Amino acid sequence: MRLDKVWIVARKDMSEFKTNKYIVFSLVLMPLVMSFVLPIAYLVPITMLTGDNSNVPLDLHINITSRFEGLNVENVSVSNASFVKSNLTNVVAQSCIFENCTLTDVLARDSVLLNTTIDRSYVIRSNIEASPRTDSTLSGCVIIGETSRTVNMLKTFIDSLLMFFILVPVMIPTIIASYSFVGEKLNKSLEPLLATPTTDMELLAGKSLSIFIPSMAAAWISLVPFVVLVDLIAGPVLGYYPLPNIIWVVGSFILAPLFCLLSISTNVLVSSRVNDVRASQQIGSLIVLPLVVFFVITIAGLITLDLFYMSVFVMLIAIVDAAVVYLSLKVFRREEILIRWK
Amino acid sequence: MIETVELTKNFKEVTAVEDLTMTIKDGEVFGFIGPNGAGKTTTVRMLCCLISPSRGSAFVNGMDIAHPNDRIKIRGIIGLLPETPGLYESLSAQRNLDFFAQLYGLSSTVRDRRIKELLTTLDVWDRRNDPVAKFSKGMKQKIAIARALVHEPEILFLDEPTSGLDPQASLTVRNYLLDLKKEGRTIFLNTHNLDEAEKLCDKIGVIQRNLLALGSPEELSSKFWGKATVIEARSLTPEMVRAVESIPSVRRVDLAEGKLLVELDRPDLNNPLIVRTLVERGAEIEYVSELKHGLEDIYLKLIGGQR
Repeated sequence: MRLDKVWIVARKDMSEFKTNKYIVFSLVLMPLVMSFVLPIAYLVPITMLTGDNSNVPLDLHINITSRFEGLNVENVSVSNASFVKSNLTNVVAQSCIFENCTLTDVLARDSVLLNTTIDRSYVIRSNIEASPRTDSTLSGCVIIGETSRTVNMLKTFIDSLLMFFILVPVMIPTIIASYSFVGEKLNKSLEPLLATPTTDMELLAGKSLSIFIPSMAAAWISLVPFVVLVDLIAGPVLGYYPLPNIIWVVGSFILAPLFCLLSISTNVLVSSRVNDVRASQQIGSLIVLPLVVFFVITIAGLITLDLFYMSVFVMLIAIVDAAVVYLSLKVFRREEILIRWK
Repeated sequence: MIETVELTKNFKEVTAVEDLTMTIKDGEVFGFIGPNGAGKTTTVRMLCCLISPSRGSAFVNGMDIAHPNDRIKIRGIIGLLPETPGLYESLSAQRNLDFFAQLYGLSSTVRDRRIKELLTTLDVWDRRNDPVAKFSKGMKQKIAIARALVHEPEILFLDEPTSGLDPQASLTVRNYLLDLKKEGRTIFLNTHNLDEAEKLCDKIGVIQRNLLALGSPEELSSKFWGKATVIEARSLTPEMVRAVESIPSVRRVDLAEGKLLVELDRPDLNNPLIVRTLVERGAEIEYVSELKHGLEDIYLKLIGGQR
């Protein structure tokens, strides 16, 4: 295979793409949505749910004036008191410290709760640490040493954004390839091309490269503002900058190119059978299904998106890639193209 | 030179071309005529190494179309104009040609020179930067011809080069093909246009799956009809007809509408004797001419006979 011929074919195809408004539109729009719209629309509402989820304790300035231990306290209002190993029921507490206590039907404010069981209570603007809660409501609290459900949700959502990111190099080839291969068929421009002294492999590689380059370029360029924006949105809530992380590095630089290649090869197969750009796009876009399934499983919590599962998924897609590339090579043969690509 | 030996192509149960054996010499313009679906395009595709033959063999400039290494080399020395121009519509004429010139390995300088040469000759140089989509059908065909010629191929395959063109555009294309003929280029011309084939071609092949006839238009004419002389004269009588019939080389004589149709061998030798015979018997000769059967007659006789 001569690489110069591959590059000649790729360059010609890319020149053609530049004149196609649908391709230009998809190359600009999808990364724009990915970089700016998605993080804002997807993550900002979750961060609003979490409120201040920083693990930094609130500065409460509690001035303790009395200390109690081993008491059963009911139907009273207390303030600036410290309770240890006590049971409090139906109590209103202001600026108190509870340690190893049980609170039932308690309204607590500006307090510290440590190793305390909280049941049917309402806790406002307090520091809570190692305290199990049932049927209780927290407002403006800092939960120390514990990741809140919303923070967990935020992490899962950031991981799931990887799916949307990979959608860019999956969907763009579907659009471009449908114009590239089906377009050539409709134009009847394949025959003179096939009559040149190029091999089938050079033509297929050139055409695939012309789709791969803009697709991955769009994805990777959109990655930079995306990472910055996600970090800006989620960083203050999580207390650290979540991106880039190893899952995203594997996803962006291994899984995304593999999916891009899979999308291109699938579209070669689809193009050999259809004569309509839209039909090609519709069938070709089915390639997103395994990606969606994997991430739905992740979001549903059936698996944790860690390096192990990512590696398994990467290997699986690599095997599927090899099979589809092999099939597309079999389809992309001069005789097949001229006789069966009708 | 193109040489085919029992070249056959089957598409599943359908045989598109069967036992095609012929030779086209260097510098010849070969016209391949036949009805739609006769196997003309399939033959061209086999010779251009786009599809493989099912049986038989073919050699293009001594290279085997079935040999993988030769196939690439053959594609490097041929130029193909398919039935439809198949240009990249969004690209300019120059970019279209430049792309193909690059694939043929031409250097930048040679490409520029060649493209200018071709577009100037075909009178489209001024529109070189316009997208092909804006071109008329005739102009697109010119660009497609230029594309087939950009690498100065030794053999040119043209599939219906004037199909669908208006008379003016057809004439331009035909004149250009005549120029190429003068250059001594080998041209394989698939056409339905019998007049065009007659004007351009040194050799004609009539195909309907099998090769029905092969030869120059004159050879085919004499093969199917023999030679004949038409004599227009006043005062022709049955006695004169009998006198001509008695000449040994004359095979048949018909008299109709004041014209004597004489089928004979070697008219160049026998026409003076026939004319003398008629004049001696009082005929007043007005015209003596050769009866010619055009390609259309040959085609209809062959294809009609097949149908």
